Amino acid sequence: MTGVLRLIIVKLSYRIIILFIILTLIFLIPRLAPGLPIDYLVEDPRVPPEIRSELMAKFGLDKPIFPDQYLDFLERTILHLDFGYSFMYQESVFKVIAERITWSILLVGSALAISFILGTCLGIFAAWRRGKITDYSVVFSVLFVRSMPVFWTGMILLLFLSYYYNIFPTGGAIQPGAKYDSFLDYAYDVLRHLALPLMAIIPFFTAKYLMVMRNSMVDVVTEDYIVTAKAKGLSDRKIMFEHAARNALLPVITMLAIDIGSIMGGAVVTETVFSYPGVGLLIYSAVMNHDYPLILGAFFIISAVTLITTFIAEILYTMLDPRVKAHEA
Amino acid sequence: MGFLTTIIEVLRRPWGLIGFIILMFFVSIAILAPYISPYNPWKITGRPFSKPSPDHLLGTNDMGQDLLSELLYGARLSLMIGVVAAVASTIIGTVVGLLAGFLGGVFDRTLTGITDVFLLLPALPLMLVLSVFMGPGFFTIVLVITVMSWPPVARMVRAQVLSIKNRLYVEASRALGAGGLHIMFRHVLPNIAPVMVAIAVLMVGEAMIAEASLSFLGLGDPTKKSWGIMLHWAFRTGAFSFGAWWWIVPPGLCIALVVFGFASLGYAIEEVINPRLRAGR
Repeated sequence: MTGVLRLIIVKLSYRIIILFIILTLIFLIPRLAPGLPIDYLVEDPRVPPEIRSELMAKFGLDKPIFPDQYLDFLERTILHLDFGYSFMYQESVFKVIAERITWSILLVGSALAISFILGTCLGIFAAWRRGKITDYSVVFSVLFVRSMPVFWTGMILLLFLSYYYNIFPTGGAIQPGAKYDSFLDYAYDVLRHLALPLMAIIPFFTAKYLMVMRNSMVDVVTEDYIVTAKAKGLSDRKIMFEHAARNALLPVITMLAIDIGSIMGGAVVTETVFSYPGVGLLIYSAVMNHDYPLILGAFFIISAVTLITTFIAEILYTMLDPRVKAHEA
Repeated sequence: MGFLTTIIEVLRRPWGLIGFIILMFFVSIAILAPYISPYNPWKITGRPFSKPSPDHLLGTNDMGQDLLSELLYGARLSLMIGVVAAVASTIIGTVVGLLAGFLGGVFDRTLTGITDVFLLLPALPLMLVLSVFMGPGFFTIVLVITVMSWPPVARMVRAQVLSIKNRLYVEASRALGAGGLHIMFRHVLPNIAPVMVAIAVLMVGEAMIAEASLSFLGLGDPTKKSWGIMLHWAFRTGAFSFGAWWWIVPPGLCIALVVFGFASLGYAIEEVINPRLRAGR
């Protein structure tokens, strides 16, 4: 158990250093970019200089960058989770992101759950029939699905299923201004809006998990204990599902952990195509409107969540797989 | 295995052959674009949003520019960005991986640490952040794709170096007094070169998808022609309400085909040079 503890400490301190570096980058990027920071705040050149300098003083931009501004920045971000005010929304960045996160969790979360189940099952199936025509056609489809840009899949679905055949709404998360008689009504509306974005993302993630699962299975089935199981006369099906799949799942879980981190980032392109009001669309519109505090704040929060989920995954991984030795950290 | 035999082996596999044919087709299009395009894609040559017709085989866009010509010209920038970014990331990744694997110790830990950071960060949001501060354009796109794509290369190269470094013939060579540089250039590099080629080929496809996504989000140079930029304008200017499938379907299909071509070619190369590697990825 001490090995695991050591591992936790190493991984944790490593991630704290990473977060520090990211914070420093977020601090530096706007200050290193061409133009003064105040130019991002006051883009109109007609604003008189005295008001500019007043604003500079108000936001502490007249102090030396290091250490005063830097320490100020660290205190605000770390102690108060204060990433400043969004130019677009005139509200705190944290609040703006918190308001959008539910939709992203719903969209990306359900997409990941469905893809994970589909991908691992199909992966086991392909590995089971490896070298046969089923395996080849599965691998072929995976390569092709992964070659399609997700936003394009979305555009095609949108064009055919909403504009040509009007089966699904063209965008958004709920019908604007709709009145719901019951919760079921509301749930139906949410699902109707969720359908197309889901159809756009699921093939991509499924293909990804499928391939990793298949390759991991193919790898595992050559190991000694599988050969032993075979020699014991266990059926193929039993070996595949009870012995091989359990161990082959580990790399897929690691990948899932990284992708769970991406829930926070939403699916930027998909949410843009379907104007789905999650964090992804928020980041996109922040980029389009040069809302720097929002961009940087969102980026920090996404990175932090990714680091936390991968941390949990790595710890679980070590506990599940005795072969991963603590000293490998 | 010699260089020529490797190529023949790759082309003898169905994957390799399919990939090769697709890529040759699109590379020819890119090279010949000015000669085979029916119109100048920057000139207004028809009515806006015309359907496909003998005059305009793939119709026109919102400005009345010929979409077939745009598509043919678009092959140039899309392929170019993909190839440049892939080569750049392969080189950077290889250098980092070589140094980390070869020098070991503190160097290895630092470089591996940096690599891990990049592997953990969400790619598209980071690319967006970087492009915003650098301003849209060709150079920005290549740079942000490279920044996000070298880490997996570095990780693979490092693993390769570590496994080669401890092989017997390298030990023997070291025992005979060979220096680090000699071992690196004489034993390690030739051994990982084929792997690098496979990685670079696979990387082009990924870089092209990244280019398309960034351009689609409006971070490309809007005056240039690439498949991603075409889709950007299609999305922005209401190709949907016109039901202009001839504007939306072809660019994405081209991207998918080319990326598929690179993926299957890379897959075949990997299979030829190292059958075990495939399962490890």
